[in-house]
Amino acid sequence: MNLPRLLIKRNLTFSEFLYNFFATISGLTIFNLQFFKEVFLPPYEIPEIKKHMNELGVKTFPIVSVTGLIIGLVMAMQSLPVFMRFGATDYLPGTVALSVVRELGPVITALIFAGRVSSGIGAELGSMRVTEQIDAMEVSGINPFKYLVVTRIIATTFTLPLLTVYVIAIALFGSFFAITIEQGTNFEYYKNAVIDMLQFSDFIPGIAKTFVFGYIVGLVGAYKGYTAEGGTEGVGKASTTSVVLSSLLILLFDTILVKITLWLWPT
Amino acid sequence: MADVNIIRIENLTKRFDDFTVLDNVSINVKEGENLIVFGRSGTGKSVLLKCTIGLLKPDGGNIFIKDKNILELSTKELNKVRKHTSFLFQSAALYDSMTVRENLEFPLRKGGYNLTEEEIEERVYKNLELVSLVEAIDKMPSELSGGMRKRIGLARAIITEPEIMFYDEPTTGLDPITSKEISELIINLQKQLNMTSIVVTHDLICAKIIADRAIFLKDAKVAYEGTLDELIHSKDKFLQNFFSVDLINA
Repeated sequence: MNLPRLLIKRNLTFSEFLYNFFATISGLTIFNLQFFKEVFLPPYEIPEIKKHMNELGVKTFPIVSVTGLIIGLVMAMQSLPVFMRFGATDYLPGTVALSVVRELGPVITALIFAGRVSSGIGAELGSMRVTEQIDAMEVSGINPFKYLVVTRIIATTFTLPLLTVYVIAIALFGSFFAITIEQGTNFEYYKNAVIDMLQFSDFIPGIAKTFVFGYIVGLVGAYKGYTAEGGTEGVGKASTTSVVLSSLLILLFDTILVKITLWLWPT
Repeated sequence: MADVNIIRIENLTKRFDDFTVLDNVSINVKEGENLIVFGRSGTGKSVLLKCTIGLLKPDGGNIFIKDKNILELSTKELNKVRKHTSFLFQSAALYDSMTVRENLEFPLRKGGYNLTEEEIEERVYKNLELVSLVEAIDKMPSELSGGMRKRIGLARAIITEPEIMFYDEPTTGLDPITSKEISELIINLQKQLNMTSIVVTHDLICAKIIADRAIFLKDAKVAYEGTLDELIHSKDKFLQNFFSVDLINA
């Protein structure tokens, strides 16, 4: 795999910055193609994928739990005065649920996942690259791309949707808690209000796009780590730029996917 | 030592941007021979090894391992050739997320050797015994000293029973006693397994123990070639200077 070489010096000129930008885009594209070339070929390294899914899920679990709860609480508390002004408090549980399911849950979980996991993958693979562990695999006749990269990308692609479902559930609990405290309502009332507003089709685009976000997190982290150079400084850079690039790509693809979703399900 | 060239490097050229590291370098290594590669820092010794094993792509020339030009092979074919070779990295390059046992098992499990669990276990213990580190079997690499890491790296490199070994500064950073022990270990293993070796080193103790023949890289070319004694006792000012400095270090 011949990837374009990035300029690793500090204080790049504008033309060098542009060169690095397009080198990253083309590098990611080649990396992406290599992934699809390798993913369907044996060995499938299922135990390794399970191990990564377990580690990534467990690592991110505490922070997404707190975030999910706070999203629900804050959304409900912030929106309540506005809904009260218009006498529309009956619509509050459903509106919060709709926001969380369609947009806030998937995107915020993805951004947290990017911060926690993409940087971790970037640092881990970057460290393996600069300490020649990846070269050691290669000279042993083992395909490091398959073992290190493909397994991690599959793991992130399938872990993020599971975490998102969990975050949505926690956020709905948070909003139920806030509304119950403020309004003195009960669970039956909250449940009915949410069910009246939400349709099954609201879940599909929200969850479907998290597969794309998970893929982006894995791809960017693995790319930055796998191509790291320049010792410990290179590892740090791989970790930081993984978060920045994967977060930007998540937001960019969110915009594209929202547009596609609205085109497919206009209502 | 058989009279067959198991490694043939022909007119190897490697550049990094505008800097030529290796310029038309040609080397032959006979089956069972131990070749030492000397040179000052930054003269392309490690690059030569990495090109030979296919980790770096040269800009020109041909590299034959067991009569197969590795530059014309697909990744799959290259991996087949790599089953006959092994590489000891300067840093040992142990997988730091795995225990010593897992490090040794890894090439056997993932390299397509089709061994049973008992055979893997037997090889792990046999190779740890060779490097006298059976007690470290369940340790993590971070718990090992520099010398122990080199020994485990060596055990992992030879666990696949390769015919050809590449050593990148196997004794760098070690004290003279450990350095001598590692060098003796290398020569003993070479005799037991009848391996061919290319060893990049600055260490004269190591070279004296291991070398059948030596080359000296200078200005991107093979500047000197001969037995170690011929190089050490050369009338050439540069070599006299290099080896006198090295002898003081030794």
